Amino acid sequence: MTGLTLTTRPIEHGVVLQLSGELDHHTAPRVLETLKRITLTAGQQLVVDLSRLSFCDSSGIASLVAARNHALAADATIALAALPAWLTRVFRMVGLDKVLVTYPTTQAAAAAWSRRLR
Amino acid sequence: MSAAGREAGQPFPEDDPHAEAAMFSTLLEDSAEDLYDNAPCGYLSTLPDGQIAKVNATLLRWLGYTREDLVGRRTFSDLLTVGGRLYYETHFAPLLNMQGEIGGVALELRAADGSRLPVLVTSTVKTSADGQPRLIRTTIFDASDRRAYERELLRARQEADRERERLQRLVTTLQHSLLPSSLPKVPGLEAAAYYHIASRDEVSGDFYDLFPLSRERWGFFLGDVCGKGAGAAAMTSLIRYTLRAAAVYDPDPVTILDTLNTALHQEYRGDNPRYCTALFGILTPDGDGFAITLAGGGHPPCLLLRADGTADFQPTPDGMLIGMLADATFTATTIRLSAGDTLLLYTDGLIEAHTATTGTVDGRYGDQALHTFAVKLAPTTATETIAALAELLTGFGDGLDDDTAALALSVPAHPPADEPTTP
Repeated sequence: MTGLTLTTRPIEHGVVLQLSGELDHHTAPRVLETLKRITLTAGQQLVVDLSRLSFCDSSGIASLVAARNHALAADATIALAALPAWLTRVFRMVGLDKVLVTYPTTQAAAAAWSRRLR
Repeated sequence: MSAAGREAGQPFPEDDPHAEAAMFSTLLEDSAEDLYDNAPCGYLSTLPDGQIAKVNATLLRWLGYTREDLVGRRTFSDLLTVGGRLYYETHFAPLLNMQGEIGGVALELRAADGSRLPVLVTSTVKTSADGQPRLIRTTIFDASDRRAYERELLRARQEADRERERLQRLVTTLQHSLLPSSLPKVPGLEAAAYYHIASRDEVSGDFYDLFPLSRERWGFFLGDVCGKGAGAAAMTSLIRYTLRAAAVYDPDPVTILDTLNTALHQEYRGDNPRYCTALFGILTPDGDGFAITLAGGGHPPCLLLRADGTADFQPTPDGMLIGMLADATFTATTIRLSAGDTLLLYTDGLIEAHTATTGTVDGRYGDQALHTFAVKLAPTTATETIAALAELLTGFGDGLDDDTAALALSVPAHPPADEPTTP
């Protein structure tokens, strides 16, 4: 049992939420709790950094959708950074690739957000 | 100390060392005799043959005897209950003789009125100059509080066990109400199902069903609700009835999943959204087998194990997680289930099982391993597939930490052509 570590850090235009470890039935509720504490304003970006994610089950997928809903409810946008290769297949399977934009890194996600402004 | 003295109503000024010394000397004048008799524990001295030689007032009070009742007349073992006496003679006394002391033994004393007093007993042997035992000194502590505490603890534990059993009965009943009690008989089809619940305390979010739609048409589904427990059970119930009702109304798998998506999206929104993944299929007899229209929403693809020994995943691409978006899209695929073919539907507990043997990068049983398993098995039947799967999953042991459901449908192979039999 490796568990999940959640870290949030503010960036210029929003918040980065990093999920490290196993995102499953046991740990997904913590993502929902953390989301409640992340305040976003219209136009900001929530970047979910998955570079250190080692496992994700259906509850984990649900928590990522909750993150999307949380961002959209504040008129903010959401981007996933460093989606692990093994998760790409699952994303395609559940159709998440169509509703969650992914970038190779958090920097790339930020760059995309800046471009959007121009 | 002086502060404590003041609180107890003894007016010694704290700056007067003489007054403080006087208080101590008053305490020290407390006679050893009085301390012995009225100590907060029982004292008992017995001769090596067990005869009671001396006993303090505390113990006499606890037991309701007078000094005359006991001294020179009774032995220590006379004060014990029958069980205690047995233990005393077989264990306590021999150990005491051997070691010269024994401590913390729980015994029960019998009072004059017949009541029992749980005690903790400590004894030491006093020896003479030549090493011969002269006297046994015994200290007795009242352990009724401790015994009551232990009884309370035991009662709480039994209560918790009963609650847990009740919860497990409730979970089992609820679980059964969410699954078909037995699969219906479909002419020309063999069907088998498997169900593994990871926890006996929580309702699983996996579900499946096979049911008639008309004389010539059957519906089946299998899916997985994100999460488990009471919330997942309520959602599973909604899913099951929505799917069954929608199938009767319009037997098109894509429309049925659309209906379910709308129902779930309306019901579960906000901070704790819930979704499900599912495969829904319609079976129609077709020649010697069945034509299957299958739609999927975010669910792992099913496996077709063919009569010719091959096996392939049957993807339903672009099917989204059901309930996630108001306008989710689902797609259907058609599968022909011919004689000797088996279709296997499963939930992700299977591909996510932790295993040490499959050699996947992340130590979990993956698609590739499942495909290999299917190829080895084909050609097969629904019953055989489920049996092999059950064996595989049992092999995972504790590695199977998620609930797992599987549904297999097969068309019996052609009976071997009647070969001309030579007499």
